[in-house]
Parts: sequence; C-alpha cells; structure tokens
Amino acid sequence: MDAREELVQRCAIRRREKIGTLSDEGFAELVLAVRNDPTAFVDTPSEEALVALATALATYEQSLDNDDLLDDDEYTATRKRRLSALADACDRATSVDSGCVDARLVSILAHDLGPDDLLAQLLELREKVDAPIVDGDAWSDVFSRPSLRLDAAIVRTCLDGSRFKMTLDRAEKLMGSAPSDALGARYTAALAYARLEDEAGFDALDARFGHRGNTWSNLARAVLLYKLGRMSAARRALRGYCELCAGAAYALLKPEFVEIYLPDRPTAAPSSFEEAVLAVHESEPIIADVPDFIAWAQSQPWLEQSASQFADKNDFDW
Amino acid sequence: MAFDPKREDYQRLALRFAHTLDAGDPASATHSFTSFGRRFAQDRDSLPQSDSDRAFHLVVQATDLLDYQLPFASEDSAAMLLSRGRECLEEALSLDPNCHDARRMLFSPTEAAFDARHQFLHEHEDEVGAACSAAAKTAAEDAEPERAKLAADIAMRPYLRWIASMAEVSLVCGRNRETISLCERLFSLDPHDAADARFTLALAYAKLEDDQGLDALVTRYSQLSPYRTPDDGWVLLSQLSLAHKRNDLNAARQILGRLIKIYPNCEYVLVRQSELPDGAFARILVTPYSEDEMILAVSEATVILQEGNDMTGRGVLGAWLAREVTALNPEAAEAAMRDMRDAREGGF
Repeated sequence: MDAREELVQRCAIRRREKIGTLSDEGFAELVLAVRNDPTAFVDTPSEEALVALATALATYEQSLDNDDLLDDDEYTATRKRRLSALADACDRATSVDSGCVDARLVSILAHDLGPDDLLAQLLELREKVDAPIVDGDAWSDVFSRPSLRLDAAIVRTCLDGSRFKMTLDRAEKLMGSAPSDALGARYTAALAYARLEDEAGFDALDARFGHRGNTWSNLARAVLLYKLGRMSAARRALRGYCELCAGAAYALLKPEFVEIYLPDRPTAAPSSFEEAVLAVHESEPIIADVPDFIAWAQSQPWLEQSASQFADKNDFDW
Repeated sequence: MAFDPKREDYQRLALRFAHTLDAGDPASATHSFTSFGRRFAQDRDSLPQSDSDRAFHLVVQATDLLDYQLPFASEDSAAMLLSRGRECLEEALSLDPNCHDARRMLFSPTEAAFDARHQFLHEHEDEVGAACSAAAKTAAEDAEPERAKLAADIAMRPYLRWIASMAEVSLVCGRNRETISLCERLFSLDPHDAADARFTLALAYAKLEDDQGLDALVTRYSQLSPYRTPDDGWVLLSQLSLAHKRNDLNAARQILGRLIKIYPNCEYVLVRQSELPDGAFARILVTPYSEDEMILAVSEATVILQEGNDMTGRGVLGAWLAREVTALNPEAAEAAMRDMRDAREGGF
C-alpha cells in the first residue's frame, strides 16, 4: 500500500470537490501541489487518520532495518514490540476517524493472530464496512481501495486457514468488483485451484488474464499437475516457474521467513527474486500438502544447479 | 482396510483341507473336519498346505510384528521387530514369488518415501490384478459352489489390499482425485467394501472440499456397508472439516458433539491427535466405535487436521479441535497434553 500517494490522491479529489469544476490540467497541477506537502491539504478526520497510518507504517518499515544483527530471542521480542507499537498507532488513527478501514485492518493484522481468529476479526470488520458502489473498476476509485484491501486480506487468510473454496469465492467477488486486480487476488486464487486439483478452474482463471502467467500461477501449475500425476507436464511447468524469474529455484528450495503483509502484499518487481520469495511463502500451505513435492523438485538436476548458481552469484547460503 | 489376516489364514487352510477330504467317504470327512480347528491351532504343520499357504502364514506373522507390536514397542525392541518382520516377508516371497501382500509390505511406509511407494504400487498394479484375477478364476472352478465363492474371494483379496494401499498412499501424497478414482475402482471389485475404503474416500472428499461428493458417499453407505451407518470417525471428521472450511463453526461444533457422544474418551483422543503409521498389511483391526477406532480415524485424518499456516504445529483444524475440546472438557485435555509432553520427553 502506498499510503502517501493515496493520501495525495484523496486530498486532491476533496479539494477539487470544494473548488467545484477543475480542468484535467488544473487537477494535475493540484495533485503536484498536494504531493509536495500533503499535510497542508488535510482538512478532514479521514485524511488525518490516513496521515497517522502512513506515519505508523513508515516508522514500522524503518524499524525493520537492524533485524539481521539480533539473535533469535531478541528478534522475537523486538518483532513483538514493533507489531504491538504499530497496532497501537493504528488504534490511535482509528480514534481520529473510526471509518479508517486501513488503520483497522493493519491493527488486526499486526496482532499476528492464527488464521481462525484472524478470519473472524476480518469478517467482523467486513460487516461494518460498506462495499464500494462504483461504476467500472472499483480500484480506480481511491476511496474504495481500503475496502478492496480488506477483501484481499480475507482472501489470503482463507488460504492460510485451508479454506480453499472460500478463498475462491472471495477472490472471485473481489476480481468481479475490481477486474484490474491490482491486489493480485488471482495469485491466491491460482494457488487455491491447484490445491483443489481443479484444472478447469485454474485454466479458466489463466485465460481470463490472457494466459500471461506469473510467478504464482507457474508454481501453482507445477503443484496442480504433480497432484494430478502428470509428471512430464509438471516438470515442464516447474521449468516454466524457474525460467520466469531469477532465483526462483533458490526461493523454492530455501524458503525465507516473510513478515505479515501490512496491509497488503509488498511490492516486488514482476519476475524478480523478491516476487519468487513471496510466491513461495504464499504457496507454503499447498506445498506442505504434497509432502514429496520439494524432494521431487530438488531431484531435477537443472533446478538444483540453477539454485546453487544463483546462491553463488549473490553470495547466499547454499 | 478391515482385513483379518488370521481369519484369512484359517480360511485358506480350511479350504485346502476340505479338498483333501473330497476323495474319502463323507462320514470320516465330517470327523476329520472336527479335528481341523485343533490341528490349525496346535499342529499347523500336520495340515496339508502349499507354499503359497505357508507364505501367507509368514505374512500373518509379519503383520503381527509390524502392525500390532511395532507401534507400541520401545525404541530398543523396535529395530528387532522390524528386522524379524522383514525376514518373514522375505521368506514368504522366496516361498511364493506371487505373494503380493509380502511384496507390498516390504515396500511399506517405514521403508520408502511416499512417492517411491506410490510409484511402486502403480507400476505393479496391473500384474497383481491379472495374477489375482487368474487365481480367482481357477478357484471359482471348484465344483462346490460355496467353496468356489470363498476361494475366489480369497484369491482377489491381495489385489483389493493393493488398491486400498494405493488409495491411502495417494491421499497422503496429496493426490486426492486419484484417491477418489481408486476407491471407486475398489468398490466395483468389492461392492460391500471389505477394505473399508469408504473411510479413505471420505477424507479425500474433505480434502477437495467436495460437499456433494461426501453427501453422495453418505447416501451410498446403505449399499456399501449395510451393517454400519455413516457415523464413523472418518465420515464425521470429514463433515466437521467441511463445516470448518465453510467457516460454519456452529455446524462443526454440532458434529464434534456427535463424535463425543459416539466414541468413548473421544475428547482425550481429539486433543492428543496421535499419528500412527498406516498398517503395513491393512488398516489394523479395531472394534467399531471403540476408542481405538477413533485413534485410527484421527491419525488418518492428519491430512485434514494438519493443514494451513497454524502457529501451534497442529494445523488449523487440529488447533481448532484442541481448543474446542479443551473448553468442553478441560480435564481430558489436560491429561492428553500431559501425555503428549511425556511422550516427547520420554521418546514414546
């Protein structure tokens, strides 16, 4: 979530409403002015709360920097403190504007709950938040985005809780209201289709997004075909996953700890190593369900070679 | 799979014995048969038997060692039981290269990774099926119809066990659609489900979140298993899992209540969540609706309990069950937790 940029957009739109009519060029000028100093344009509690949230998220991000120097116990304690401080800051933002869905969402997520409790809290919040009523793609309306982010968090939490049909149901609704799928619900849906061994559903999803493929869907396809016992096709799909991005093989064989998404999936360049790390992390529930999948992947000589070369090149452990 | 190896051993020798009596006069045959039970129990070697009968008897001995003693053995005696079991199976195969049970058991979960076992069972399925069908055809030629039926039935059992093993392995490997098609194939050969494959099938439907499939299986219980209603641990845990996956926690709680009513000491079993190795010969024999049956059902339901990103290590459904049961019966939960701690510390 780019909280600062959304703040800029929101302030500019509100200011335009006050001004009345404004040409496109005029609006572009206004956006530039707001971007220069957003706080000067904040004049409603909802934007005030968003400023508080943006500050809290930035503080949280900065506090991640020194983790590598900590031992396990120190890290656990630091992480707990950091998440708790973030939740407190979000609660303060919510006290400024109880309608700040993002602050409520981040606060719930920062409590680091198990999938059942997390889902219960997210669904409770969902009950209180109106779904966007927008003509066209809801993502294009910056005021609708918090609601969409909440939906995306519910989709991912369903997957983490091994509720795969519910994952698909929620993902379909989200992609229906925001077909551009900026939040990548299709990635989570691809994993759920693979886990449910639903090849027709998987293919239909792939077709809907122009068969372009991505790190998640390539990995999901390998898992799906493996589960269906089509091993040559599974091998080809695995190769497709590995060839799509640098370090994909390494990310699969050496999964990294990934912090809670606050509030949504961190930005990573398409087909980058960082994206592969995220895809593997999100795939953990479905990979763990296929106990010999990793051993099978590792037994492909080209995959292990690719992983070890990537490790050498980047000075990573192998 | 509810196959009783000792009973099958008895049936095999009884059939063989009955054949030897055919030539004599009926009165002495009746007299001889009355002595069969005693001779079977006390002087087995005096009974007529073929190498394949001897091989099956070794399978029975191996089953006792591997399936009924090994899971409860101390670490010291486990290696000995394993090696004695293996010796029995190897000897069985040397006596009868067509002893499919011995071949399958030598490739048991303790011996191979799931995928390797999956591949082995698939590679040899056709030849086992052909061999058993040929043996069943020969057996069915017996002039005495009841005997012919039993002999043909016994001849097919190694193949039924083979497919049932494949279904269990594919479930653990995460190949749930394959589990479903294997169980259906098994039902076509074994319409009254002697293998109890419906238990495995229920879990596969839960894994695929196929409510309709599970409902249809429940409806089919009256044909598949006329003597058992669809209220066993497997089907109820599968239904409970589906309710949990729908996030219908009240429905899940109701099913939990049914389980607790049906199975003795169920709360303890549901918190303990022991994971036992699958029986090498077949699913081990337990009394229906006993605590032992619930232990087996929970152990096989590991595939649905231990799913999802849960922090307790039990899986999302496993953790939910433990929490719910703890609220309902804290004493049973405490006893289970204590025994889990002791098992971790004591290695048993």
